[in-house]
Amino acid sequence: MALLKDKDREQLQKEFAQLQNSVKLVFFTQALDCEYCPMTQQVLEEVVGLSDKIQLQTHNFAIDKEQVAAYKIARVPAVAVVRVEPVLILAGGKAATRERDYGIRYYGVPAGFEFAALVGDIMDVSRGESGLSASSKTALAQLKEPLHLQVFTTPT
Amino acid sequence: MAMESELVTADAVDASEYPELADYYQVYGVPLTVANSKVRVEGGMPEPMFIGQILKGVSGMTQKT
Repeated sequence: MALLKDKDREQLQKEFAQLQNSVKLVFFTQALDCEYCPMTQQVLEEVVGLSDKIQLQTHNFAIDKEQVAAYKIARVPAVAVVRVEPVLILAGGKAATRERDYGIRYYGVPAGFEFAALVGDIMDVSRGESGLSASSKTALAQLKEPLHLQVFTTPT
Repeated sequence: MAMESELVTADAVDASEYPELADYYQVYGVPLTVANSKVRVEGGMPEPMFIGQILKGVSGMTQKT
C-alpha cells in the first residue's frame, strides 16, 4: 500500500517539476535489527518515483563501511541529501557530474514534519540556495569551527 | 545553515525512533536543536534569533576551552 496519498503525489509532482539540478538521496539501511528501515525505504522509493531529477542510492550500513565513513553516517535508517551538479557537458549532450554534499542528514523515517522538511531540502539543495537571509548567510560564513546541529523532532 | 557553510552539518533526528539518543540529550519537547552536543535551543523561533542563539552558544564554548 502506498504511503503517499494520490493528492499529495500530485502536489509533489508539481513541486518537483521545478527541480533544475538533480538531487541524490543516499539511503543507509540494514537487513536486521532496524525496525524503521523498511518504511524509510518505501517513503524514499515513492519520492524518487515522482521525479526523474531525484535519484536513490542505497547502501548497507553493516557492509558498506567505506560509504558509511564517507557520508559520516551514525545510525540507521539514514538519508543524506546531496546535489548532483553538472561539471561539463560531454559530446552527445551527456553531462559529467559531481556530488555536492552539504552535510544534510535525516535519521529515522521522514514522516510528518520531517517529510515536509525533506521535500524542502530537496528543493533547496537542487537550487543550491538555502533561502536564509543575507545577514544569516554572513554570520554563518564567519564560522571558524565545525558546527554540528542535531534537530530532534517527532513525526506528529 | 548547512548549505551556507562547509563547517556546518545538520541532522534531523526522529526522537521517538532513537530513544537512547533522546534520553542522552534529555529531549522532553520538540523541536530541540543541539549544537556541538552542548548548546540547546528549544522550540521554534524566527531565523535571526535561532541562528544568533546557536552561534553565540558555540562561540562561548570555544572561548572557554
